[in-house]
Amino acid sequence: MNKSIILIITLLLSFTVFSQEKYTISGYVKSAETGEELIGATVYIKSKSIGVSANVYGFYSLTLSEGVYDVSYSYIGYNEQTIKVDLSRNIQKNIELAETVNKLDVVEITGEKADNNFKSIEMSVNKIDSKTIKKIPALLGEADVVKSILLLPGVSTVGEGSTGFNVRGGGIDQNLVLLDEAPVYNSSHLFGFFSVFNPDAVKNVKLIKGGISPEYGGRLSSILDIRMKEGNKKELTGSGGVGVIFSRLSVEGPIVKDKASFLVAGRRSYADVLAKPFLNENLKNTKFYFYDLTAKVNYELNAKNKLFLSGYFGRDVFGSGFIFNWGNATATARWNHIFNEKLFMNLTAFYSDYDYAFGVDEEDPADDFDWNSSIVSTSIKPDFSYYLNNKNTLKFGAQSIYYDFKPAQATFASDGQTSNISLREKYGIENGIYILNEQKIGARTSVLYGLRWSHFAYLGKGIKQTYRDTIPGITKPLDEEISFAKNKSIANYNFFEPRLSVKYDLTEFSSVKASYNRMTQYLHLISNTIASTPVDIWLPTTNNVKPQVADQVAVGYFRNFKNNKYETSVEVFAKDFQNQVDYIDNARIFFNEQLEGDLLSGDGRAFGLELYVKKNTGKLTGWVSYTLSRSERKVNGISNGDWYPNRFDRLHNLSVVNSYELNKKWSFSANFVYSTGTPGTFPTNRYEIQGVVVAHNVDNKRNNFRIPAYHRLDISATLTPKKNEDRKWKGEWVFSIYNVYSRKNPFSIYFEQNQDNPRKTDAIRYAVIGTLVPAVSYNFNF
Amino acid sequence: MRTIIYTISVILIAFSFSSCEDVIDLDLKNGRSQLVIDGFINSDSTIQSIRLTKSAAYFLNAPTPSVNNAVVKIEGPNNLVYPFVNDGNGNYNYNPTSMGKLDSIGFEYRLIVEYENNTYLGKSTLKPVPVIDSITYEFEEADLGSEEGYYAQFWAKDFYGSRDFYWIKAYKNSNPIDTLQYAQFILSQDAAFDGPAADGLTFILPIRASITNRDEPFIIGDSCSVELLSMNEDAWNYLIQVSSQANNGGLFATPTANVRSTITDLAGNLQNDVLGVFSISSISRNYKIIQ
Repeated sequence: MNKSIILIITLLLSFTVFSQEKYTISGYVKSAETGEELIGATVYIKSKSIGVSANVYGFYSLTLSEGVYDVSYSYIGYNEQTIKVDLSRNIQKNIELAETVNKLDVVEITGEKADNNFKSIEMSVNKIDSKTIKKIPALLGEADVVKSILLLPGVSTVGEGSTGFNVRGGGIDQNLVLLDEAPVYNSSHLFGFFSVFNPDAVKNVKLIKGGISPEYGGRLSSILDIRMKEGNKKELTGSGGVGVIFSRLSVEGPIVKDKASFLVAGRRSYADVLAKPFLNENLKNTKFYFYDLTAKVNYELNAKNKLFLSGYFGRDVFGSGFIFNWGNATATARWNHIFNEKLFMNLTAFYSDYDYAFGVDEEDPADDFDWNSSIVSTSIKPDFSYYLNNKNTLKFGAQSIYYDFKPAQATFASDGQTSNISLREKYGIENGIYILNEQKIGARTSVLYGLRWSHFAYLGKGIKQTYRDTIPGITKPLDEEISFAKNKSIANYNFFEPRLSVKYDLTEFSSVKASYNRMTQYLHLISNTIASTPVDIWLPTTNNVKPQVADQVAVGYFRNFKNNKYETSVEVFAKDFQNQVDYIDNARIFFNEQLEGDLLSGDGRAFGLELYVKKNTGKLTGWVSYTLSRSERKVNGISNGDWYPNRFDRLHNLSVVNSYELNKKWSFSANFVYSTGTPGTFPTNRYEIQGVVVAHNVDNKRNNFRIPAYHRLDISATLTPKKNEDRKWKGEWVFSIYNVYSRKNPFSIYFEQNQDNPRKTDAIRYAVIGTLVPAVSYNFNF
Repeated sequence: MRTIIYTISVILIAFSFSSCEDVIDLDLKNGRSQLVIDGFINSDSTIQSIRLTKSAAYFLNAPTPSVNNAVVKIEGPNNLVYPFVNDGNGNYNYNPTSMGKLDSIGFEYRLIVEYENNTYLGKSTLKPVPVIDSITYEFEEADLGSEEGYYAQFWAKDFYGSRDFYWIKAYKNSNPIDTLQYAQFILSQDAAFDGPAADGLTFILPIRASITNRDEPFIIGDSCSVELLSMNEDAWNYLIQVSSQANNGGLFATPTANVRSTITDLAGNLQNDVLGVFSISSISRNYKIIQ
């Protein structure tokens, strides 16, 4: 595989030698105000109808035959700039675009060019910038990246307060969540009420649900690519907010003007601080808070080299006689290097750690319990873009990730004696190599084709366990254990993952697109609860747990109306999953060295229709998204081996998101969501054991009933005081109400014996938020 | 493990703004009725009882029907067969004064139930049980989720070198206590909870202290008595499942699933027409008056 890549590079380089009469213009597109690179800015030559988009680092490259051209640079929300270029040699040209003065009738809701919807080869992709995220009315007034994503087509959740999100019928562990290219293993604060990303530090959010490019691998269902701001290169600025639950502050500015900049952003919840005076003596030691810190520096060494360092550290802490905390830490180092006007490289190295600790906060060490668990990954990842000519852009690269899993490091102490109950550590290495070409064929067709080869080795030091097959659905007995030395391979897997996307322009304003992708996943989140908990553990693929594989086909029609004022799309998708991890009934997930004996493997399928209409400009902006979909699973040993709906399956899913700018002082937002209730398993019978009523389902069916539908309306109003205009400090007040009509949306329905009358059994509707939640927050910029 | 999840949930509920639970009316389909064997016995000299009932509609809100036309017996060592006699209320009783106690440590006892032309089998090996050395208590002030009063602990030590399963029963003034809201049964594997093996230790603090109802702790004059029962893994697992299925609400509920029966046909296969469990335990006791 390595040889073929070298061969391809050699071929490419020789190609340049033969095309001497052509020259290349390349460089970065940036914002004149902040010096931030503009991801996806358009560089266009009208006379030739040739254009290119800047990559995620703002780099572009365009190759043309010798001549004089008008090159125009544009980016939504910025003034277009056209320059005359005499292309008689290779030219490096960095361009800074000035922000459009905020006119009321041009309120933009994406950072990309408005015709990207149908012009780009990407399909099944949604982008949100932090401006949009901040407009959506949110729980307790706190703008939230992950909660915004839930309003997009094809995205759902099992319910309020649950961690993560489900994309096109995939589980929450099937989303690769990247923060500046480092994976984030748990994206939630306070269980699932808030996500860990500070909207003040976020530049760009891109969710890829289908047609996934070969650049990405390792998860089945989606890529959530979050890019942090680089930091203002021109002047020191800041922003922040004071809310009901937490406060935010971020500061950014130049270190060396136009060369180096930094960004530091932090948040902390203070419900504990506020509550302290009101708590009685016994509760004074209760701890409950979370915080996160995001930091980034970048340095432009010279025209060809840039360095970026970014990091995230966040933690949730709870305690009252015990200590429970969890959090992510990530660090990313990146080096952008321009080899020549056609070859761009980004080299990323990252470290990402998710861990939690649970312990008893006892004064007496004679009786103690300490439990830690973590997943640590380190990776190196070179990516190259080669702008072969204006018809072909090649990308290739590789990645290697080393994992260290610590499922449990724990000790018990009882009456002065201790017992170590740690589980064995597990190790693995995941490798990937990819190549792709984005090719324009004729005036109407673009094709992106490529291949990713992925490999995973389950490594020692470890033990290979062999289990005996038994009746499906009961614990498999352990047959044999073989020890392996450090770095010895215990099990090996590799897959070829073909990827293909095609776009065909139907008219000047519309296109059809189709895509196919195969994805492989070597990590599995072991979670047997409805909502994932912070104590869920990630485990590698082993000789018993096979890699998950999914194939997806999607077809879509994309059309813009009224000069890109409205963009619309219709997409259908079908997905086939293999080796989905499931659990025997009443599986033992924690502290079980023979957990693999409790795991089952099954198939999945999902299909759906997604409709999306978005209004980009005008006083009223927003979108309507509707998804009709089904997500099912078939596992030998569950539900009699028949297909059954996934716990997050929702047939209908509707979101209406609106924002209205009344005047310079007031703007209003509202969103409404409706979705079919999730399924649950309901009993048919009861019986009694030792006086306890036991619920029983005679047909042994899982998820045989639907809980009632979910719907909710949220509203908010933003007040921008007049005095803002002539001062640097700009503040705004946001008033919001979540769940306006106080619907008790059921998260689940469960069954239990009545506490007062044990003969009686009740069906209990559990709503995570059963009332309206008003909030006020104050945001500022300086 | 459920303790931790439970603690998280308590914290979450305590500090979340507005979660809400209410009883709703629901139409459930009824399924066919099955024979249920509730077979927990011990090696004591007291009357041993096994209960037979039929499963019924989930919202029956009445005792499930008892079964009185079965033949119930236990096969012991030396081909001894101990008959259990029906009392007309679904209970089948054996008085050890007739043929002796069921107390052969290490022997696998077999429960045989003959009912409507079918014969069902339950197997359980009698395991030894550690002694309860003592019960201690101390006064505690109210805290998050617990009231002011006397909190007791029992002191016993798990057998070293084997995987042992225990069921702890606690009584206040001879009435069983609802020890913890989240679990009807206090169960331990070795000296700790259902996951890790804390082999050979004194029962860990949360288990030692589980014999007090935190809503109604002991007051002066109360008696506190504790029973420690040895169990087989399958029956212990059965109770774990009953506990977790009976308390499966909230954010971190697991998929609702049927409790896996340990009763089979004579060939050892699980059968669709029978539910339940058979378990024989050794039992040790201790007792304390709060003064």
